[in-house]
Amino acid sequence: MMAPMRLRPLAALLLLAALGIARAEDQGFTNRATELKEKGAADAATVATLPENTPVKVLARGGAWTQVEAGGHTGWVRVFHLRFQGAVESSSGSGLASLGSALGFGSSSNSQAKLASTGIRGLTTEDVKNANPDPEALALMQSFRADRPAAERFAKEAKLAAAHVDVPAATGKGDSR
Amino acid sequence: MKRAGWILVGALALAAGGARAIDFGSLINQAIDTGKALQEANHEFTTDEEVALGDGLAAGFLGAAPLRKDPELQRYVNRVGKWLAMHSDRPDLPWTFGVVDTETVNAFALPGGTVLITYGLLKRLGSESELAGALAHEIAHVVKKHQLQAIQSDRNSAALAGLGKAIAGEAIARRGNDPVGLKTWGANAGVELLKNGVFLRPLDRSMEYEADKLGVVIAARSGYDPYGLVGVLEMLAQTKSDGSGLSVLDTHPPPADRLAELEGFVPLVEREVSDPKRLQARFRKAVGAAP
Repeated sequence: MMAPMRLRPLAALLLLAALGIARAEDQGFTNRATELKEKGAADAATVATLPENTPVKVLARGGAWTQVEAGGHTGWVRVFHLRFQGAVESSSGSGLASLGSALGFGSSSNSQAKLASTGIRGLTTEDVKNANPDPEALALMQSFRADRPAAERFAKEAKLAAAHVDVPAATGKGDSR
Repeated sequence: MKRAGWILVGALALAAGGARAIDFGSLINQAIDTGKALQEANHEFTTDEEVALGDGLAAGFLGAAPLRKDPELQRYVNRVGKWLAMHSDRPDLPWTFGVVDTETVNAFALPGGTVLITYGLLKRLGSESELAGALAHEIAHVVKKHQLQAIQSDRNSAALAGLGKAIAGEAIARRGNDPVGLKTWGANAGVELLKNGVFLRPLDRSMEYEADKLGVVIAARSGYDPYGLVGVLEMLAQTKSDGSGLSVLDTHPPPADRLAELEGFVPLVEREVSDPKRLQARFRKAVGAAP
């Protein structure tokens, strides 16, 4: 596991499947001094200590730990000890114009009509405001709903097991509401 | 102001012709009531009202961004979404998930349990746990009724004051037919909330952070890796806009701030789960098969 290059191809493939394949563009920096670990675990051996702002190339993700290449070493760092910035040019700038608010509803509110350099046009606030409502598309979308048994079968197929998880007590200002 | 509204709407109804006046009267009353209800900060929406509003909003969105023509993909996203929603505090809403065909990277939660995710976002995700992270964030907004709270906030009072008139006006302009074939006043109110821009205003930061955290919990309860949303935010953090959308960063928490909010939180959730799943292969099969 620590030296993927020594694994046989099949094992390496399985390893990749298990760890997740990083997006090719993933390039980040450490956001504080942090340890590069041999494995994704706090008690694993330390390969190197990386100063703040060390450039890293992401190789794979593993929940709390991210496998990276940094300064000629390969190892794992805590996911929250990395930062990423807009280093990747997108081929569809119009859509990405609203990325800062992605996942926040209404986020396109400030993304006025924009055309990407490639000419691919995303959804704008004006598009939405001026649209003719489409009740047929609504009905079609609702026809794809999953019922409980379907969702349960789907979860079972992937061995997704429901767990009891309480919402942890307040840890930040976002919990104030 | 409200009285003037009544008079205006009444005049419009008369102008539209006497034969349908009774229908108009009923419609106008409902429309005005809708406008009033939305203006009352303390108005408790019934689930039916909330669902109807969401239907109108969804119909409007779908008029601008069509559904992705891939039934298998739509069903896949609905199964992930429904499974997540079953582990929320509002499992019995008519949860509906739709992939809309636009390059814009975003997802939208609508009152009543409809969640739209753009194909632009979907194709940038790397696993089902990341999809779960994104959908669970939106589910959390619905569970907490963030959109309803935002609609009813003071800053929208002027826009809402005209809402009933707008609905009635639309109906009258189309000779009394249901303006968009959505049947209920609530749905037509949803359409108007989209047209007048009220629904497109950003939520408070605190609501976004709350949805991030509750979303992480919902994903974990459903058996997914609680770090799914973290992966999504990392992807967003390193995706660069064309430079013209920076104003959005002024009104929404930047991904780095959202990650900072989650740093102390996700490990607490992680402790509670065993054998969480990321499911890259199933995700790739479902999304990669898309035309």
